[in-house]
Amino acid sequence: MISSLQRIIVIGRNTLTEAVRQKVLNVLLIFAVVLVSCSVFISQLATPGLDPAGLFDEQIKFVKDFGCGAIGFFGFFIALLSTALLIPQELHNRTIYTILAKPVRRSEFLLGKFFGIILLLALCISLMSLAFVVTLYVQEQVGLGVVDSTYERMGDWKNNPHIVAMHDHDAAIIISQVRDPQLVEAVVLLFAKIVMTAAIALLISTFATSWIFTVITTFMIYLIAHAEGLARTFWLSQGAESTIWQSALVGLISMLIPDMNSFTIVDEILAGNHIPWSHALNLLAYANIYVIVLLAVSIVIFDYREI
Amino acid sequence: MTTLPLAIRLRRALLIALILGLWAPFKIAWEQNLAKQQDALRYNGIVMTRRLRDDLGQGLTIGVLSGMRNIVADLIWLQVTTAWEDQEWFRMGGLINLCTSLQPRAPVFWDLGGWQLAWNASVAASHDPKQPDELRRLKAGRFWVDKGLDVYLRGLENNPQYWRLWSDTAMLYQQRLKDYHKAAYYYQQASERPNAPAYLERFPAIMYGLAGDDQAAYDSWKALWERLTPAQREMKEHWKEKIESNIRQLEQKLSIPKEKRVFPN
Repeated sequence: MISSLQRIIVIGRNTLTEAVRQKVLNVLLIFAVVLVSCSVFISQLATPGLDPAGLFDEQIKFVKDFGCGAIGFFGFFIALLSTALLIPQELHNRTIYTILAKPVRRSEFLLGKFFGIILLLALCISLMSLAFVVTLYVQEQVGLGVVDSTYERMGDWKNNPHIVAMHDHDAAIIISQVRDPQLVEAVVLLFAKIVMTAAIALLISTFATSWIFTVITTFMIYLIAHAEGLARTFWLSQGAESTIWQSALVGLISMLIPDMNSFTIVDEILAGNHIPWSHALNLLAYANIYVIVLLAVSIVIFDYREI
Repeated sequence: MTTLPLAIRLRRALLIALILGLWAPFKIAWEQNLAKQQDALRYNGIVMTRRLRDDLGQGLTIGVLSGMRNIVADLIWLQVTTAWEDQEWFRMGGLINLCTSLQPRAPVFWDLGGWQLAWNASVAASHDPKQPDELRRLKAGRFWVDKGLDVYLRGLENNPQYWRLWSDTAMLYQQRLKDYHKAAYYYQQASERPNAPAYLERFPAIMYGLAGDDQAAYDSWKALWERLTPAQREMKEHWKEKIESNIRQLEQKLSIPKEKRVFPN
């Protein structure tokens, strides 16, 4: 058991090293960091004017939306491309034959590869999150600067305790929106969603003959997964009017495709709404179990694959 | 690549069917539970309808379906700003509705959307140089005030904890509709919400004063005074001296018996 774990860890570390060397992933990561950082400029396009706190409600929302959106978007593509290339590259370079000729089980090989992808995604998300934190800090400073300059126009406001109290309230609103601890919850949920995408891509790549097929199919499943809730609701509440084919199709989608729309609660966090950790943990547990099921199916397919 | 023997292929298919078959009922039950929780917590913003799809267009619909609902809403919001600058009020109203439909739990869209309609569109319409008839101008102005009010009220249904929406609705009743009793009610609600600034606590009483309802104003000032602890009264943001002077004035004006006064001396 321990030796098996060690083999998985070794393969995972190698997978991470190989992935980090891939130019396409590095370029994606650079784009992601640039886009996250640029969200502070995009926010400037939002409605100008208004009182300081009102103005920054909107601009901070923009920074959060575009920052987390970039993390989700580029995280998705990094997960998709790096996972889709895993097995085809091993086959192309013929390294898979060398590895599997050693006392390494196919399941260990696959789990090691997936472990490496998780490490890669954790690294990328951490870097993007760091850029996000810096961007939010810049936005906070811009916001506080505007609040200060607005009150400066009132003349000798610092000697009027009532005005000082109003200033402090406005500044506190900006700080509380920027330093929202729930943003950690949002990034963790985004990470879980991206790992699920990687698991789907891994499953498809175990039987796909080309990486392009894996990329396109995973992308389609990703889109369908955001509408899975609709299919499930239709399937569970359908009346006599639906045909057997409709029923079979939505039933199949409901049973096989994950519900990724549940992860859009990240939007609620970014809009400033409170999401209890209990709900987020429920969602994380769902994602974890789903990944385990997908890995189990991947192992079965890969075990029987002719290489 | 050689083809696997049928028996092996069957065994593989059976194993996969077994794993997925065992997982499917749990999966569906779990997802239903998650959806129920999210419904109860009012997280689910929109259901993709044909009309919404037509309004969004193909590109933005794919954005929504890819889980980028908030970014799509933000991009549409940028068009609201453009429509405002171009003074295209009906287009702006439609775009605000689209944003609030996509993200009904984002208070900032309701807040600024209501302001755009009730103030910017309304003031522009009531001062429209192309409309010589003053009555028509006033009617157009009122039309947009009502549209803005509708946005605020729907926003409050979706975000009842957001103090600024209550306060903005109150301000609309106060400054545009001159309905001070309603303004007092909404300011009162705003002051009771989390993170509301302390100055809002005084506004209901001020509104009753503007409405000429001295008794209600006195009751409101008195209730505020009694609600504040002695320590809170000393805090600068509560403006102790203003509350005190208003209560004293109204006690004089309403001839409140000395034994019932907050400040008998």
